[in-house]
Amino acid sequence: MPKTCALCKKSRAILKRPKTGQQICKECFFYVFETEVHNTITESKLFQPGDRVAIGASGGKDSTVLAYVMKTLNERYNYGLNLFLLSIDEGITGYRDDSLETVKRNQEQYDMPLKILSYDELYGWTMDAIVAEVGRKNNCTFCGVFRRQALDRGAAMLNVDHIVTGHNADDIAETVLMNIMRGDIARLGRCTLICTQGEDTIRRSKPFKYTYEKEIVMYAYFKKLDYFSTECIYSPDAYRGHARTFLKGLEAARPSAIIDIIHSGEAFEVSEEVKATQKLQQTCKRCGYMSSNELCKACTLLEGLERGMASSGITERARKRLEAEGPAPDSLRTIPFFKPPSGNPTVTIEVPS
Amino acid sequence: MSACGNPATETDVLMERRPKFDKSRDCVKCKTNRGNIVIRHAVYCKECFTPLVSFKFRRSLEPFVNELPQGPRRKALKASGDLLLAFSGGLGSTVLLDLAYQAYFANRHEEDRTENQQGGKDHPRNAPIWPKGSICYVEICSAFPGMKDRTEKIRTAIASYGSLDFIPLRLEDAFDNSWWESVGGRPSPSDLEVDLSNEEIFISFFSKETIVDPVTSLRTFLSNLPTHTAISRAVPTLVRILLLYTARSTGSSHLLLGTSLTSLSVSLISAISQGAGFTVREEAQEEWASLDVPSPTRKSVRVIRPLRDIGMKECAILCWWRNLNVIGKEKIPGGKEDIANLTKDFIVGLEKDYPSTVSTIARTCGKLIPKAGSARKCILCEQPVQQGIQDWKSRTSIRTLDAAETTSDVIEHSRFISPYLCYACHTTFTSRSSRGSMQSGTTSVRLPVWTGQHLMDAQWEGTNGDGGHEQKNEVWEKRRAKEEDMKNIIGDFLLGDTST
Repeated sequence: MPKTCALCKKSRAILKRPKTGQQICKECFFYVFETEVHNTITESKLFQPGDRVAIGASGGKDSTVLAYVMKTLNERYNYGLNLFLLSIDEGITGYRDDSLETVKRNQEQYDMPLKILSYDELYGWTMDAIVAEVGRKNNCTFCGVFRRQALDRGAAMLNVDHIVTGHNADDIAETVLMNIMRGDIARLGRCTLICTQGEDTIRRSKPFKYTYEKEIVMYAYFKKLDYFSTECIYSPDAYRGHARTFLKGLEAARPSAIIDIIHSGEAFEVSEEVKATQKLQQTCKRCGYMSSNELCKACTLLEGLERGMASSGITERARKRLEAEGPAPDSLRTIPFFKPPSGNPTVTIEVPS
Repeated sequence: MSACGNPATETDVLMERRPKFDKSRDCVKCKTNRGNIVIRHAVYCKECFTPLVSFKFRRSLEPFVNELPQGPRRKALKASGDLLLAFSGGLGSTVLLDLAYQAYFANRHEEDRTENQQGGKDHPRNAPIWPKGSICYVEICSAFPGMKDRTEKIRTAIASYGSLDFIPLRLEDAFDNSWWESVGGRPSPSDLEVDLSNEEIFISFFSKETIVDPVTSLRTFLSNLPTHTAISRAVPTLVRILLLYTARSTGSSHLLLGTSLTSLSVSLISAISQGAGFTVREEAQEEWASLDVPSPTRKSVRVIRPLRDIGMKECAILCWWRNLNVIGKEKIPGGKEDIANLTKDFIVGLEKDYPSTVSTIARTCGKLIPKAGSARKCILCEQPVQQGIQDWKSRTSIRTLDAAETTSDVIEHSRFISPYLCYACHTTFTSRSSRGSMQSGTTSVRLPVWTGQHLMDAQWEGTNGDGGHEQKNEVWEKRRAKEEDMKNIIGDFLLGDTST
């Protein structure tokens, strides 16, 4: 006998909700999915009417669904937001090509302006070139550091107030575990925040903070949203891989484990005595981006690449070897100086035709 | 550790394995003997290893012996009460018992004390730190069919520690009013029974008329929990409360647990994975005071894990060299796929390849504090309750379209206990497996003996404004409005026949 939806008690249940285990109908699933995201947005007062918001779009499932849901909620609840799509092209042959096509299609479908910023344009290096230089070990360090800064710089060019990314509950739970296991107190303190903002950077938020990855896929499936599920060809982070496998095991044992870990991460904080020992944030003297040291991580990595000593940004020994070679030459290619949003977009935005 | 390759697909992307030890094969301490064991890349000989473990044990325990913390001037160690050692028969508690006995109880006999002691044998300096010590063992065999009772085996194993008393308990004591009264618990006028089939956990029965045997109550309680994870959390929770009340009733100021560094890391990650981040500090150390005694007269029990700097490997080698007999802990059946077991497998596996990870986990968690204070304690586990849990849960995981609607017609005049539970205990009762419920289907489940009184106290505090911010007025009562009830209220405003 068909089961009735546990929420509306009328329609036939057609799915088991991964987060709660309830058997519900499609319409109720859309309702709870969207309402939970709306609750997350309103509870933490993420936006102000008139905000210019860039959606970090990769063409993958998270950002595709995020763009759709942000547009839906913006219209349904009158947030009054100006939404943009912002994509980063890392320059990995065969990895981004298809997904960037998805982003371009989203631009048409959702009627949102799109800006694609490439590593090549910003740093003078593609990931293909970086991997050719550093090999497959540690290349995630380059990609991660460069992407974060590229998003901020792209957002500054679009003159947006806010970037929203598709980080989901699984990503956040995994990061909580990972930061505990590697003792990264600074990141542990901020990884469960819904919104982070450096001194000179644009606000960054994760509206899918409490949304399960499986439900994002389910939503895309029922809404018939197309996306590309491509794994990076330059190998995923092994350490994160360990944490992810463990988390999947926990989720299988008890589905609430993901949200329970996030709840734990929100319930504690780093004690004041420990906070006092942490490095103060400063500005990179070369590119003006936020940094914990004189040079930001992106400039350190780029200098290593440019001077043919790529590992200087990774190991202490290599850094000392680089320092022993003397200061950076004046002719060194550097990242353009970072300018926070000035009031007007400084780039041409691709507007849907 | 920082390699970015995927070890599953590419074997060449892994970092080169570090050598097992950093420098030479000689002991890093005495620098003369050939080493016998490698602990986190450092080599130790057998002679230096035992004093090292003993030093780590004392370093984790002695700063917390005196009631007030040591000032700049070091005072003699003197506890304000007796000592209770928790013993499970496992590796950690075997090492704990041996180290504690050797350090504080072995040379207690009159004939062992010599007149040559500094200040004479009656000098306060030479008085024992704890006047009396006891060993407490909680037998869990009644909870699961087919499990053997090991109480006598444990009694024999600890017979050599003659000057320590043995206190055997049973898990079903948690449901036994006579045990509760024997440890000084205030008898509650009624037992607490709940309906675990609902998110709100309704109290479906609140009377003491029917006397149920404790073993049956224990089994019903466990068999109605929704997942194996819930069972493997509930058992240690009951054991912990049994130990704490036993410590209080024996006048113990300290309760020592044999949690090694490895088990501490496991329990920290497991607790975080079950939503107990708010009480992560209590996982390492806590100062417990019973809820059923008014605040000014409460005497606290300090729960200490003196092996928290000693890893599982160190415990194992100490047992081997000191020829200690480890009986082994009884495993909870059927729960290989629960969060506690998964975490244990993960951490123990990680420790083999990356020996520093377990200590990193413990040190990282040691730097964390709860984000906000807590006005209340959970009526089940007696740990601090964070405010706003139910709001948070309903906001992040919508489970009903209409908050006013309840799922059962028979809940009239019933109450619910969810506001009086911590996040982890509430999740234990309500979070279901994706593979379907394990619950046996019994409608009413009796809760442990202390919960009835604690609930009444919490309700009283709530109504007197001394309780939590969130529920400081009354016990919520939810019921579906019946048509007759509605008609009674609006009857005067209805004209003629309004039947629908």
